[in-house]
Amino acid sequence: MKWSQFFNTSIGKKLLVGATGFFLCSFVLVHLAGNIQLLYKDGGKAFNTYAAFMGHNSLIQFIAWGLKIVIVLHALIALQLTFSNRRARPVKYAISAGNQTSSWYSRQMAVMGSILLVFIVIHLADFWAKFHYAELPTISYEANGEPIKDLYSIVWQVFENPVWVIIYVIGMIGLSFHLIHGFKSAFQTFGLNHVKYNGLISFVGVWLFGILIPIGFAIIPVYILFNH
Amino acid sequence: MNLTLKVWRQKNKNDQGRFETYQVQDISSEMSFLEMFDVLNERLINEGKEPIAFDHDCREGICGMCSMHINGRAHGPWAGTTTCQLHMRAFKDGDTITVEPWRASAFPVLKDLTVDRGAFDRIIEAGGYISVNTGNAVDANAIPIPKDKADAAFAAAACIGCGACVAACKNSSAMLFVSAKVSQLALLPQGDPERSTRALNMVAQMDKEGFGSCTNTGACEAECPKEISLTNIARLNREFIRSGFTYEK
Repeated sequence: MKWSQFFNTSIGKKLLVGATGFFLCSFVLVHLAGNIQLLYKDGGKAFNTYAAFMGHNSLIQFIAWGLKIVIVLHALIALQLTFSNRRARPVKYAISAGNQTSSWYSRQMAVMGSILLVFIVIHLADFWAKFHYAELPTISYEANGEPIKDLYSIVWQVFENPVWVIIYVIGMIGLSFHLIHGFKSAFQTFGLNHVKYNGLISFVGVWLFGILIPIGFAIIPVYILFNH
Repeated sequence: MNLTLKVWRQKNKNDQGRFETYQVQDISSEMSFLEMFDVLNERLINEGKEPIAFDHDCREGICGMCSMHINGRAHGPWAGTTTCQLHMRAFKDGDTITVEPWRASAFPVLKDLTVDRGAFDRIIEAGGYISVNTGNAVDANAIPIPKDKADAAFAAAACIGCGACVAACKNSSAMLFVSAKVSQLALLPQGDPERSTRALNMVAQMDKEGFGSCTNTGACEAECPKEISLTNIARLNREFIRSGFTYEK
């Protein structure tokens, strides 16, 4: 079987969704580690310095564009699978088993993924596009230091508005349920199902990626809303 | 007990189909679900009406022919049970029971509750066998096989090919069936020579038949009358990855 045929099979496509999903899992971990600096009350020194580094380091910029391509690939292949899965059952059941045989969030990966995709577009327009393409106020933390863009203040300004906070919290609820199932599911797709490791995979998927990380992200806008 | 049945009636492949409602009286709680249908069909025949078509054969839970979707559940509400082994004590007097055929584009409805499961046969033809003549039963210890491997192969071989996995899956995926058939051979030395072509060809045929892909919801495992485990799907994925990355053709 040629590579083109291999990755065109249902399992081949799922492997691509799983591999891109793992990459995106590693990204959310790094992204949270950076973003948590928004909670420092240091006038944005740590966060703005970090943002300036991330925005100018060419290796990171290369990975950042790769990341956008990976998100698009992950979404496109998953959508293609979703549509072919829908075609596999043209006539629906009058009565379905619902939650008796599977968890609701495991059946709603496409819905949670779509919520996330909309959220990512909003999020990029909010901060990434502004940081790179808009005129931002600058700030300098050292005497005679080069002024850097003050993204910290922009973030604090945006989250003064409760509507934005709600949008971000909804996005993170989508992320939570997407990863509670997705992390574990990707391991199964790669054939990594072993009685000695299943407990650990499930624990990391549910608690770290499904609960702790989304809560960590959601805390930032909520904290800013109540402390600005 | 007295029950109301809402049963899918469809004249043939091309008919639109619709639900029809029947009242059945004096049903014994010790009857099987299929025996209840026998009672109803006898009445329909006596009334000069078309009896309800449904698949059945051994009626002892091992042939894989019966195939009803009962109140939203493949083979009804009991775990690890085929429709023929589902007894009426699973229901209460006065219940309304909705009975539908398996729903999947790869399993077209032939008539009423009967579907064409020929797609499964074609998947088996694509590689679910070994090509050597095994001859007579050999001495039990002539080929050493670890007990845990033998047990896992036997558990996979318990699949009766009824299609409940496809019926239960929201994607109409046949992965549990294919994985059981691949596993029962991949785990044993006799299946080893054709491991690569088997996994690749059976998956290719599965896709060609129009089954959906697996999203690991676990509904198939929950509904399988033989309780085939999801670990088989992981094994199929491993077999497929291994073959795809190493098989030279």
